[in-house]
Amino acid sequence: MVLETLKKLFTPVESLDADQLKAYLAEHKEGSFTLLDVRQPGEYEEAHIPGAKLIPIAQLPERMSELDPEKPVIAY
Amino acid sequence: MGWNGLKAEGPLELNMDMVRGDETPIEIIRLAYGMEDSLGGFYRSVQTRTQDSELAHLLEMLIGAEDKHKQYLFELQKSLEPSGVSRETFEADVSPKVMEGGFDSDLFIKQNEKFLNDVPSVLDLSMMLETQALDLYLRFADKSQNRETKDVLHKIGDEEKSHLAALDKLRDKKT
Repeated sequence: MVLETLKKLFTPVESLDADQLKAYLAEHKEGSFTLLDVRQPGEYEEAHIPGAKLIPIAQLPERMSELDPEKPVIAY
Repeated sequence: MGWNGLKAEGPLELNMDMVRGDETPIEIIRLAYGMEDSLGGFYRSVQTRTQDSELAHLLEMLIGAEDKHKQYLFELQKSLEPSGVSRETFEADVSPKVMEGGFDSDLFIKQNEKFLNDVPSVLDLSMMLETQALDLYLRFADKSQNRETKDVLHKIGDEEKSHLAALDKLRDKKT
């Protein structure tokens, strides 16, 4: 079940470099995508991309419902 | 983090006690208006302290940008409540105690005294404040349980992004 949801959320998977991500964030309206920070809270606190949603990777399986499956998810 | 774009700092909970999560769009617009107003007030008080004409000019531009944001917010409020209150009544209802990003204005001046004396430092500071503001508005959006309030916060976030892009270009020119 979780795997299926994960597949739905992360398929197709594309990789963006920093410049491509900057361009994506500049070109897309807020609310049209989810920026997902899967690092640890301490790393998020030190620096994060504005508006990133923090869900440490270990918590991702039980917190999948917090992600909108209709929107692209950009994880870092 | 191998990221060279905008970076916000602080824990997820930073300044989140400013919202409950059940605010109406109008309540959020008032909150944002107060923060924009307070940031404009901060730039004004820095402006009164400087003898540097280039810095005074930059501060005038920054004050103008905050005034534009306020106008945008007032119009957003009017679009949601066409028969709503006048600008004066609207302004009387806001509480401009906290600057954008959640900073206390007086405390912020005290803590950043040495960064308020030249154009590059003030531009850096302004970018930092606006980045924190963008992050805070988007965290508010994530916390909000009201779809319309989320939409309003995303629109405000888009405004902040445009402002940050303009500041970034200006910083490239000035440094």
